Amino acid sequence: MSLKPPPGFFTILYFAGAKDYTHKEKELLEAPLEVNKLLDVLEKKYNGIGEKILSSCLLTVNLGYVDTTEETLIREGDEVAIIPPVSSG
Amino acid sequence: MALAPESHVSLVSDPPNIHVSMTRSPLSMQESASKVKSPKAGAIVLFAGTTRDNFDGKPVKHLEYSAYEGLALKTMRSIAEQMVEKHSLIGISIVHRLGVVPIGEESVIIAVAAPHRQAAWRAGEETLEEVKASVEIWKLEEFGDGSVWRANADGCNKTE
Repeated sequence: MSLKPPPGFFTILYFAGAKDYTHKEKELLEAPLEVNKLLDVLEKKYNGIGEKILSSCLLTVNLGYVDTTEETLIREGDEVAIIPPVSSG
Repeated sequence: MALAPESHVSLVSDPPNIHVSMTRSPLSMQESASKVKSPKAGAIVLFAGTTRDNFDGKPVKHLEYSAYEGLALKTMRSIAEQMVEKHSLIGISIVHRLGVVPIGEESVIIAVAAPHRQAAWRAGEETLEEVKASVEIWKLEEFGDGSVWRANADGCNKTE
């Protein structure tokens, strides 16, 4: 899970419902990318994911939560993750 | 090789005993309790969450947990540190099982040790609530005719 992506890419991880929707645990996307553009990139690849999945999810970059409305830049080598509502216990 | 009689007594307070982990093996209540045991503790509170055989009356075959392991461990450690600080705990252990958990087995065990019972009761409950609200673990309920990713009520749309 922590293998470094090749130059020019970042890794995005999908869990739970996001994994089921994309049929992937992870993939590589082109970097750099503004966090607020990520939704468009994913919507193009996975029609309907924004409303059905991402609207209830949080986003992390390198194990820290980020505000998707802020101008955070995802850089090459970063590990991004879609975090659906959690259900431990 | 003989130890001075006072060698087990420390004047500076020991660093709090913090254990967080995830495992695919069955959990042990005894092991969690032992991890936090201390001669300075007057109380150990142990919580075991076990997998239920139904969701609102619908039979559940088994549950399967998956995690964003790196982040889940980081969040568990942060909760443990906050609880130690807030309730002056001597020790805390949080362990969560991953993978398929058969019905009736433990999926999470929390153990806290404190000098007195009031702090231990409070910390035990608060730790569990924090874990359920924020640790990056997901539960899949397998019904036999389909499965559902469960969501803990307030894990949704939080901003932090």
